[in-house]
Amino acid sequence: MTRDPYSARVREYFMRPLHAGDLEGSVRTEIDAQGVRLRLAATTSDGHIRRLRFRAWGCPHLLAAAEAFCDACEGGPVANLMSFSASELMQSLSVPAEKTGRILVLEDAVRSLGQMLGHGSGRGD
Amino acid sequence: MSQRQDIVYLDYAATTPVDPCVAEAMAALLTIGQDFGNPSSVHLAGRRSGDHVSRAAEQLAKLLGTESGRLIWTSGATESNNLAIIGAARFNEHRGKHLITMHTEHHAVTDVFRALEKQGFDVTWLAPDEHGVLDPAQLEAAIRDDTQLVSIMHVNNETGVIQDVESLGGCCRRHGALFHVDAAQSVGKLPIDLARMPIDLMSMTAHKLYGPKGIGALYIADRPGCHIEPLLFGGGQQQRLRPGTLPVHQVAGFGQAAEVAGERMAADYAHLLALRDRLWAGIGDIPGLLRNGDADRSFPGILNVSVEDIEGESLLLALEPLCVAAGSACNSHSREPSSVLRSMGRSDEFAQSAIRFSFGRQTGDEDVDFAVTHYRRGVAKLRELAPARAV
Repeated sequence: MTRDPYSARVREYFMRPLHAGDLEGSVRTEIDAQGVRLRLAATTSDGHIRRLRFRAWGCPHLLAAAEAFCDACEGGPVANLMSFSASELMQSLSVPAEKTGRILVLEDAVRSLGQMLGHGSGRGD
Repeated sequence: MSQRQDIVYLDYAATTPVDPCVAEAMAALLTIGQDFGNPSSVHLAGRRSGDHVSRAAEQLAKLLGTESGRLIWTSGATESNNLAIIGAARFNEHRGKHLITMHTEHHAVTDVFRALEKQGFDVTWLAPDEHGVLDPAQLEAAIRDDTQLVSIMHVNNETGVIQDVESLGGCCRRHGALFHVDAAQSVGKLPIDLARMPIDLMSMTAHKLYGPKGIGALYIADRPGCHIEPLLFGGGQQQRLRPGTLPVHQVAGFGQAAEVAGERMAADYAHLLALRDRLWAGIGDIPGLLRNGDADRSFPGILNVSVEDIEGESLLLALEPLCVAAGSACNSHSREPSSVLRSMGRSDEFAQSAIRFSFGRQTGDEDVDFAVTHYRRGVAKLRELAPARAV
């Protein structure tokens, strides 16, 4: 029997990606791997992420994960990006194990963004 | 809207709702006081049930232009395909071990041939052209002296493409090979005259033509050399080819559905054609959209489209509550791009974005309009979400 492959949270984030889009004057990172494309953009001030946006081409789990990440990390310390864990996000969204590779692309993008912002290199908007 | 309030169902190629008159005929054969007997029993209750089986066979035979004695009841098209292909291959093994089929067949056929390959049979896999059509000359060139069986489906379940089974069957006849046709998508929808068409074995199922799930049939032509070995043992029913107590209510439902399909075939066809054209008119101008399958040689109940730079799984979710298929419904758990579309030369990117819309008697213009709106909106949303491709 076929059961719903998407949790309620995945459906919610997929249907309402409030953080989708671009940011003027942001620091951006983009990854094309594992059959998905993902771009993250952030603006910062005083060591904090002021705004986060994403664009993604991929399955619903990836899109939902990107939105969930932005939702959780916007407003928080830049340092949090370096401790971002794909496995925790997968668990909270009930992402199936076969999608691990795609969600790890998000983890790589977040780490990359963290490195780019790590020494206050992000510009405020 | 002609359907349940919370969904718009455009997946009739996966299954159809049971026609109310079919449900009524089935419900009359289940309980005490009704004809619930075992049709193999010789007493009056059994004979009465047997009459219903005979009547259903007559109804189905009339639809197909054959005799009722040429039909074997099965559990559905998957079992019919297994019985026809394995049964014929084993029975005719002395004539040769070469078999021919296509990459674009349903898994209920391709998986059977792969199993036979493991048992020592030599299978030639034919590919269609970019429109999904098999040129009979391709089959002619592939047939060998030791070819004993060819299996080609009538209407493709993903694209709706209609194969020229008359020419393909004629080719088989000239070379002495048996010709099996998986007609799960065409019985009751396109005219089939088995008295005239060069088909030796034909698989079908009730639930694609407004009958119940769990009942199918296999046609076996009355021709020299056209025999099969049984796959099941345990009783003398159905000429020992498919033993087991017949589900009389299911059989009667199939018969009733066949009768209705015969009466409505022309009207149904015209209705489906109008719906398909309405949908295509509504989405055909989307940039990067590609129609999968030859428009002039397709069953109008199915429209399959791919679209550039769209991820198919996300599109399917974005289309909810529209019920459509991303590929063969039986294989909907697979993330692999459609093998049917890939064998037609579609790139993986185009194949994975494919959506199959399929219509039925209960589909209305408003359902198609809903599909147009949601498809356009879904494609636009996902394109808006995607980062631009690197140049």
